[in-house]
Amino acid sequence: MAFLQAVIDGLMIGGVYAVISIGLTLVFGVMGIVNFAQAEFLTLGMFVAFFAWKYLGIDPLVGSLISFVLIFGLGVLVQMTIIQRVLNAPPVAQIFVTVGLLIVIENLSLIAFGSDFRSVTTSYQTSALRLGPLFISVPYLAAFCMSLLSGLALWLFTNKTWYGRAMRATAQDPMAAHLMGINADRMRQIAFGLGVGMTAFGGAVILPYFTVHPTVGHQFVVLMFTVVVLGGLGSVAGAVVGGLVVGVIQSVSTLFFPIQLQNLVLFLVFITVLAVRPTGLIGAAR
Amino acid sequence: MSAPILQVDGITKRFGGLLALDNVSFEVAAGDIIGLIGPNGAGKSTLFSTLVGLHKPTSGSVRFAGADITGLKPHKVAARGLTKTFQNVALFMEATVLDNVLIGALLREGVAEARTTAMACLDRVGLAHIAGKTANDLSFPERARVEVARSLATRPKVLLLDEVMAALNHVEMEEIMALIRSLRDDGLTVVAVEHHMHAIMSLCERIVVLNFGRKIADGTPQDIAKDPEVVRAYLGREYA
Amino acid sequence: MKPWIWGAAALIAAVVVPSFLDPAGYPIRVLTLTLLFAALGQAWNIVGGLANQISLGHAAFFGIGAYTSTILLIHFNLSPWIGMLAGAALAALAAYLLSFPTMKLRGHYFALATLAFSEVLRVVASSWTSVTGGPAGLSVPYAADSLALLQFKSTTPYYYIILGALVLICVVFLVIQKSALGYRLRAVKENPDAAEVIGVDTTRVKITAAVISAALTALLGTLYAQFTYFFDPEAVFGIVAISVRAAIIAILGGAGTLAGPLIGAFVIVPLEEFANAALSSRAAGLSQLVFGLMLIAIILVEPRGLLVLVSNGIARLRKGRKG
Repeated sequence: MAFLQAVIDGLMIGGVYAVISIGLTLVFGVMGIVNFAQAEFLTLGMFVAFFAWKYLGIDPLVGSLISFVLIFGLGVLVQMTIIQRVLNAPPVAQIFVTVGLLIVIENLSLIAFGSDFRSVTTSYQTSALRLGPLFISVPYLAAFCMSLLSGLALWLFTNKTWYGRAMRATAQDPMAAHLMGINADRMRQIAFGLGVGMTAFGGAVILPYFTVHPTVGHQFVVLMFTVVVLGGLGSVAGAVVGGLVVGVIQSVSTLFFPIQLQNLVLFLVFITVLAVRPTGLIGAAR
Repeated sequence: MSAPILQVDGITKRFGGLLALDNVSFEVAAGDIIGLIGPNGAGKSTLFSTLVGLHKPTSGSVRFAGADITGLKPHKVAARGLTKTFQNVALFMEATVLDNVLIGALLREGVAEARTTAMACLDRVGLAHIAGKTANDLSFPERARVEVARSLATRPKVLLLDEVMAALNHVEMEEIMALIRSLRDDGLTVVAVEHHMHAIMSLCERIVVLNFGRKIADGTPQDIAKDPEVVRAYLGREYA
Repeated sequence: MKPWIWGAAALIAAVVVPSFLDPAGYPIRVLTLTLLFAALGQAWNIVGGLANQISLGHAAFFGIGAYTSTILLIHFNLSPWIGMLAGAALAALAAYLLSFPTMKLRGHYFALATLAFSEVLRVVASSWTSVTGGPAGLSVPYAADSLALLQFKSTTPYYYIILGALVLICVVFLVIQKSALGYRLRAVKENPDAAEVIGVDTTRVKITAAVISAALTALLGTLYAQFTYFFDPEAVFGIVAISVRAAIIAILGGAGTLAGPLIGAFVIVPLEEFANAALSSRAAGLSQLVFGLMLIAIILVEPRGLLVLVSNGIARLRKGRKG
């Protein structure tokens, strides 16, 4: 029964992992760039939702929309001013530009918000649903549902709208997309904005059960890498399955190992997948 | 005919659903110059890559100098004396011409001796005067020759040449053919992929023809030119 | 001037300089740190520059060096000199094992894998409190000034020991560059398939470089621990504090060149230290912010490094004068 409970917990948190990792995989899929600063946008998303709660009294689950919109805009800006300029640069330049971004965002939030730990209080924070012998924590369930909805919205956007299709066309063949009259630069801005916006959204929905501070992103770095590598870098569907799998692995592994070794277990999964099949076990790459 | 130095036995290579090589077999005798021809996409370069170990064959075996080398890594194959040049030239672009060739020579000797060997190989292909240039600054025909020199520096017994005459003018082509003949006279065995039919016909004692990954003919240039399947698949356009 | 004359002049200057400085003062501390990070950049350069494998995980080896020697000193009273060798051996082993899964990876994937590796070690160091002291970190117990215990009150002895390490790593870099291994690394860097076909054992070449680089990095980890007397997981396993800094120092100066990390360290470390001293009282993180902004600016202006930037600038000036 403990095992089943762990699986359920894992799925709940895994849904969130999926959403925050979709951003990383989306950016890679469209631009071939691994955004090492991705986790920092999660931090920013949490801060936005925190301040929306504190000063406007908005519940983080609703505030997550504000996080998404603001960070989407920020992402578009970052793409226009920085990432765009290294699109055709060697990998070393691409890697260090996003690493630079990581350092800048982390320290900007440190300067702006200080190193305090902050958390919200909500009415549903400690409640849980009871299903026979199993419990489902309400904030976890809420975050999971919000993730599910955002994933669905993203899927509708990429598959059912002109913009979404144009974005995918740009990912597959920028030249052909250009010939079809698609503004590839604009599509990359949207992709980057969506990518970091989704991650920020994911950060906001976990706020009811997670404290925010400027280096909170560190905890998600290995995790996000594992999710996207498991699912295949560039594959959105892969990230969804990868997120759920990682959530379950993490949750179940705590039954057998001390909680501190969670990351070690994840790393072993990560490195094994990279070694055996760098294109991912789940989705086809790109 | 002496004992074969290279025996290719039933090599099949699949990439996913694509059958790139289909049960290809042939033998190469020491001291031969063999031509390998076929339309684009016939599997010539794939065959070379498989022989030197860059690809693992799906089935079949390669024997070299009496030993099975199937599945060996390329550097082990090179150490035994089998290497190739690359179709689109794969030099170390930011290194000098001399360093490119020197790296080949390192297979069998230390840096100091390798430098001497490299100069000798460059001299052999007529490029000693540009030893100090960066590979990036060379013309395409020069690059192809540096690649030949680099392969020679590994002291191969059998050398697989993948379209070294592409983009050469008539005079340069004659020079390369003279070079290949003189290498053979020094004991090297050569298998050459070429599109220039006149060159291959005059250079080779024997020609193997591939089409859609299958061997469709194997014989003297005269036999090949008359073979109806070859004419239909490949030579037709020029010779029919 | 010939390069070796530059080298000799720099070395003489480095040997003489401390006699003009207060042995307990701030300038010699900054200089010592600069030399340490120059050495770290040079160790990274063996993998990142010569083999062009962009590692974002060198903190893993640095941290292994720091923790191994310090734990051996605390629990077994073992001299850090021996601990240093133990750390280097452990780091070499870690690099060897890590090479297998990362062998075929390039560019972003390699950076991802190495970064993840160092992050995991950081987490292990933070949670295995009984051995590593956890997030609170470890203090090197001070007994007395002693060369055998590698501890001194004054900064000057550290300065010379770390200078020695820098010279050692530079010599290793030069020897590799000029040896068969150096030629093979260049071949692997530019075209691994072609390298294999002409007889280069690319797997072995990459592992050799990774193992040497890791062992040297671990030596520096031990020296860092002895020099600072205190460190926590973030200080020695930190992505930005060590891994990124090592890479940036080499890249800023010019990756793959001997002078690159030296130039990079002498630009970055003093700048950071003085920025820290000047700004930190006002806001934590400000100097790091400047570091990050600088990094982005450099990449956008000239990703091949300052050497190229300066030499291009000089060339442009000369052209301008002629024309």
